[in-house]
Amino acid sequence: MTDAPLTPQEEDDALAAEYVLGVLDLGERARAEARIKRDPGFATLVAEWEVRMAGLNEGYAEAPAPNLLPAIEARLFPSAPPARAKRRFAPGFGWLSGAAIAAVLTLVTFATLAPPEPDRLAVLATADNRLSYEVTHFGQVLRVTRVAGVPAVEGQVHELWVIAPGAAPVSLGLLESRPLVVEYPAPPAGWVFAVSIEPEGGSPTGQPTGPVILTAEVGTDA
Amino acid sequence: MHDPVADLITKCAASDRAAFRMLYRDTSAKLMGVLLRMLGERAEAEDALQEVYTRVWLRAGRYDPAKGRGMTWMIAIARNLAIDRLRARPESHGDDDMDQVADTAPRAETRLVAQGEARRMADCFATLEPDRAAAVRGAYLNGMSYIELADRHSVPLNTMRTWLRRSLLRLKECLEA
Repeated sequence: MTDAPLTPQEEDDALAAEYVLGVLDLGERARAEARIKRDPGFATLVAEWEVRMAGLNEGYAEAPAPNLLPAIEARLFPSAPPARAKRRFAPGFGWLSGAAIAAVLTLVTFATLAPPEPDRLAVLATADNRLSYEVTHFGQVLRVTRVAGVPAVEGQVHELWVIAPGAAPVSLGLLESRPLVVEYPAPPAGWVFAVSIEPEGGSPTGQPTGPVILTAEVGTDA
Repeated sequence: MHDPVADLITKCAASDRAAFRMLYRDTSAKLMGVLLRMLGERAEAEDALQEVYTRVWLRAGRYDPAKGRGMTWMIAIARNLAIDRLRARPESHGDDDMDQVADTAPRAETRLVAQGEARRMADCFATLEPDRAAAVRGAYLNGMSYIELADRHSVPLNTMRTWLRRSLLRLKECLEA
């Protein structure tokens, strides 16, 4: 192989290999994952690399694992509906219209318990990856966790929105120090999550008023 | 080729909880080995193990036995989770990781010779420059990032990236020859 630049096909293949190898940084990784979900051809390249590199798995020695099944099964198969932490109406939602309050506020739960381990729906990250939120879903619960960066500066807040194709953004809540947990169905592919910067307490109009700093489209494979 | 792990995953996709228990019994030691090696800490590895099996159950329906062995699929889930956690750490590079790689790379290579699939892999690794082969192995087994690899091999990040991408494509060429 020469040192000629890689062809576009080789670039894609190399990116798939880098993703499988795990060398990408968090932002590059999130972008590769988004592409896996929307680009079946790229997803196939990734799956092929996983199989191709499987010969290296011999390098992992076995290590006795404790029996964690009870904890895992308790997450997956709760005998009763998941215990719900105190439900409170957070301050700062007074600006919502009555209908929106009915639609959104009654669904918003700030849980103090970790919910069951969910599937990742989307990652909202800046290009430099200094700020990154992960959106996961399990059962009827969306959970948004900040995995990099810090909350908005004092006097401001990050607000999470979900946008159906052709529709106006709907607020899902404010992203503060702890993960945001909202009862909400898994948005289908093509819906968009967005984060805007709003004054303390959230947008006063019910629509984003500050800059939208992050967006992510729900993938087709979610 | 018979693949008992694949059978169990397929049963999980049909909500067979007994199969899920057998899957845990048969595969948890291997996945624990993966997570422990990558995350380096038992408490975190155990926490990650719970997440891995939760994902395995939830995603079992997406597993396609025609596209790879069951264990390969499960290890991919475990590795992806471990890598996500490593990359989310504030300072993810340090000397400890580098020592670990230096220590384990030869053993990994020896183990590679054991089996047919792995043997082929080892042969192809042997066609790469030794330091580049070590970089690929270190990245895969220990979850090293480009930044860590560049540190370890004392080259600029872009150089490391070029090296690695070329090495990976060469590896593919060799494996498919």
